Amino acid sequence: MYYYIYDSFLNDKKYHSLLAKIENRLTDLGINGKINHLSFLKNIQQILAEEIRRGVKTVVVVGSDKTLGQIINLIMDLNVVIGYIPIHSECIAGLLNIPQGEHACDVLSARIVKRIDLGKVNNYYFIGAIETGGQKLTFECDGNYIINLTNKDNIINIGNLNYQHGIFASPNDECLDLFIENTEKKFLIKKKATLSHLTFKKIRLSAEKPMPILLMDEKKILKTPVEIKVQPKKLRMIVGRGSL
Amino acid sequence: MFKETPANNETETIIGPSVKIEGDFITEGNIIVEGMVCGTIKTSRDLRVGSKSKIFANVSAENVLIAGEVQGNIRVKEKLELTSTAKIYGDIKTNILIIASGSVLNGKCQMGDGKNKTPKPNFSKQEKIELKARPAATDEDEELESMIKTETKSPRAKT
Repeated sequence: MYYYIYDSFLNDKKYHSLLAKIENRLTDLGINGKINHLSFLKNIQQILAEEIRRGVKTVVVVGSDKTLGQIINLIMDLNVVIGYIPIHSECIAGLLNIPQGEHACDVLSARIVKRIDLGKVNNYYFIGAIETGGQKLTFECDGNYIINLTNKDNIINIGNLNYQHGIFASPNDECLDLFIENTEKKFLIKKKATLSHLTFKKIRLSAEKPMPILLMDEKKILKTPVEIKVQPKKLRMIVGRGSL
Repeated sequence: MFKETPANNETETIIGPSVKIEGDFITEGNIIVEGMVCGTIKTSRDLRVGSKSKIFANVSAENVLIAGEVQGNIRVKEKLELTSTAKIYGDIKTNILIIASGSVLNGKCQMGDGKNKTPKPNFSKQEKIELKARPAATDEDEELESMIKTETKSPRAKT
């Protein structure tokens, strides 16, 4: 039994025809189900818990990576498979070989379910990546070694499912990928960027001053110090053919 | 796009020039060091140390290429290569060693895979060399010796 959650931005008129196409395709494939629109007034977690008690086995997110990030945090304790229909071209959808729009219905129908890792920053789960910047940052990795960043202009990306600088952060390797990009800015001299790449299971990020950390999935901001760790094989997700 | 294969071993760890690592850095994949590491570096695969990098650590890897400075003992299973800019202050143990001209190596060096140990010379078991007794001088020899003595003395007598 399928349960569809539509993001609130899909209430806009311009998406009506696209949603009609998606719903028609789902009916043709025989995987249609109850639809719920996200809104501030609804307690989605409570509604989802009730629907799962009624026999829902698959929750399908229709919207963007941000919607997926929000729903993942709600269904973590519920034993369900998650599906995804991206409306626009999205990063996570692309990496999971899920096409956008009504073509994603075929991926749902094929139902290739994979267990994938999730990242956890403090109490928030993320599937994609988190990003921060700044200087005088300290990372304590796996309790074994400490990384010190003394230079200015660092861009730090910690990814679970990500593609950065030609390197894949795979969500089934049971570790997270840390990318540190440093750009030396000198007057009248061409910028020179250097890259560092490390993998870890658990990291503690601290800074002299509280620094904002952006969850790329949810577009949510947290502040340092934070503890980031991998949650291996935590999520059951329907993925596209040939991915993972 | 990415398959469920043990490709994790192929991933490269890159320590950039802006990064300083302190502690035990132990991984299963290849490592490229361009920054600074203090502590221990241990990998079951290859290690490359860049020309501007500094390592104050004991190093253990399968194959190592060093172009920077290493202060610590290096243990390599297969091949250790030192480029012309390499500086090593510590002992090395490797199977194969390549040293370019200009590189600095201060420390003990042990080579070979450890299977074919070279036999040490054991002087205690060596047979004693018997020195032969000098044969007794004959009458002819005595005459020859006296002849030589007279020839050597004659030029002084003339003067």
